[in-house]
Amino acid sequence: MTEEAENAIEVENLMKCYGNLTAVSDISFTVRKGEVFALLGPNGAGKTTTVEIIETIRRPTSGKVHLLGMDVTKEKLDIVPRIGVLPQGFSSFDRITVRETLQYYSRLFSCRNADIDGLIALVNLTDKAEAQYMKLSGGLKQRLGIAIALVNDPEVVFLDEPTTGLDPRARHEVWEVLLGLKKEGKTVFLTTHYMEEAELLADTVAIISKGRIIAMDAPVQLIESNADYLVLTLQSVDEKAFGVVGEMGFAPETNNHRDITVRVAATEDIRKILNAMKDAKASFLGMDVRKPNLEQVFLKLTGEALHDGAFGGKGAK
Amino acid sequence: MNLRVVGASLAVSLKSFYREKTAMFFTMTFPILLILVFGSIFMDDDELHFTLCVQDLDQTETSAEIATALALTETFKITRVEPAIDAVQYAKNNKANLVLVIPKGYEKSYTQYLQFDNANAFATLTYVYDPSSSSVVTKMQLLNMVFATMNQGLSASPPFIRTAQISIHTRRYRFIEFFIPGIIAMAVMTESLFGTVNVNTELRQKGIIRKLSTTPITRADWILSNILHQFILAVISTTAMLLVGYAVFDVHLEITGWLPIFMVLDVFMFVGIGMILTRIVKEAQSASAAANAVLFPMMFLSGSFFPLEMMPDFLQAFAKVLPLYYVNEGLRASMLFHDNGAALSYAAIIGAIAAIVFILGITVTRWEEGR
Repeated sequence: MTEEAENAIEVENLMKCYGNLTAVSDISFTVRKGEVFALLGPNGAGKTTTVEIIETIRRPTSGKVHLLGMDVTKEKLDIVPRIGVLPQGFSSFDRITVRETLQYYSRLFSCRNADIDGLIALVNLTDKAEAQYMKLSGGLKQRLGIAIALVNDPEVVFLDEPTTGLDPRARHEVWEVLLGLKKEGKTVFLTTHYMEEAELLADTVAIISKGRIIAMDAPVQLIESNADYLVLTLQSVDEKAFGVVGEMGFAPETNNHRDITVRVAATEDIRKILNAMKDAKASFLGMDVRKPNLEQVFLKLTGEALHDGAFGGKGAK
Repeated sequence: MNLRVVGASLAVSLKSFYREKTAMFFTMTFPILLILVFGSIFMDDDELHFTLCVQDLDQTETSAEIATALALTETFKITRVEPAIDAVQYAKNNKANLVLVIPKGYEKSYTQYLQFDNANAFATLTYVYDPSSSSVVTKMQLLNMVFATMNQGLSASPPFIRTAQISIHTRRYRFIEFFIPGIIAMAVMTESLFGTVNVNTELRQKGIIRKLSTTPITRADWILSNILHQFILAVISTTAMLLVGYAVFDVHLEITGWLPIFMVLDVFMFVGIGMILTRIVKEAQSASAAANAVLFPMMFLSGSFFPLEMMPDFLQAFAKVLPLYYVNEGLRASMLFHDNGAALSYAAIIGAIAAIVFILGITVTRWEEGR
């Protein structure tokens, strides 16, 4: 391993067992400097175990992990000052203000000239700088956590499920901060079970399921190679419509709202379906065509949903 | 060890404590309230001289000198009990909580001891006492002190009892003066134990410890800042308790170098026990329960509130395995009896226990979550 490694993170055949339970099973990947790498998977897939091994919090059962060219099991003291961590379920001292918290962490890293105000502005907490941690909302707390992770101007930033448990608006606010980091060219290692998050932020996505990486590529590539189709949704159809679409050889799915969802290979198929509906005088109130997203990729690869009610992209946009 | 890191952590924990107003109020004022309440209850009792009944079965000149010597201390007001009366019956009938019985043959033994240099000769003075009385223990302790001094005088130089008697402290001891050192020991224990257990379980549960483990702060830095935090609180609350003691009750407690020594040992011991509990107990709520389970036996059985002598023998024996007992006794030895020898031996015992507990605490404290 060279002193100034080309890759920020190199993981080879990593394995972690807790007693009889294998949390992470023989995974390998590399993260280039300056990229945003997302480890995407459902709860319990081994995301946090993996990230905590790289952060030097946990020790691997076997395998090699190098961070900035250093062995994470042997060079913790040299690694720690060069990384920033937002742990899963981040929390801080209840009665300490935003500014004081950042000052405290900057002292832990012995950063005499940390730009506390700059960090506060970066995560949009300027008007909450003097508020105690306990008075902040969930999204603001996470943003403080991100600022703390940046206090030592780290070369690699780890964000373990930065938006879990946040409402959609707070999640978007956190994403804005993360997009800012991406623009700055920081190496970011992100774990998430939100496919939108991975799709929006990551240069590379590794899909992890039951302790194994089952696919890894740029989000667009992953979708192209695993889900080459369109999803047509017809809303509030009448009874005829389901039959019409079925007769055409498609496999429509339906839900409680009398919507039907059809997978089609090309836009031409959509025209055919609409024409057939018109001919049969079948009615519907609205329609929507989407490209599949990582959710469908994940579903295809594993046969399991990322999280409850995830199928179909939830229409958050 | 990075002192800037320790200092920053200390500042954060002190700020957190200071901003949690209710907790701070109770931590600081509870011991003071105890002192005020107990001090007022026992005030009337103790403003007077102790009445001491003395029954002289020997009826000789030598035996009479004991009563004279006791009277000279100005602590005791002597009431003589006729030798013909049964002492137990007398105590019951007259509601006397203590009758000192000088045995027959006292002068004979005394002469043997002095003139014939017979080191085996001795006289047993009997305390006939009422264990339900709160002031009797104080009396007995005082008597023990007087007799200890007499004995010291006898073995050190040719007999000259009177000077030995005169050298005895001429002031009165009061219940509150016994009580305050006990409350200091208890308050420091409570703060150290609860502070360590509550803060650390909470921080661990909330994942703050995990976050800290991804920064350069070490376990040693963190523990040191914890100890300094507890010691600062101990100094503040002890100062407050002593001020109340001096101002309200006019106590005569001497502050020497022993006080900070016992406080430091008290802090180390209970921070150590706290660290062990933190390791064992996973949740914040069960942590307080576990801390209470350690705390209450210490509080009630080690002689903080109630003099040990009031309790049955097996409990008295049990008290001696409780670390707090040695802090109580050590503080009393130094503040009240000015007995440096005793203070030293108590300090040595607590020091040894504290060292073991603290090292154990450090060993079991896990900084990193995983293996």
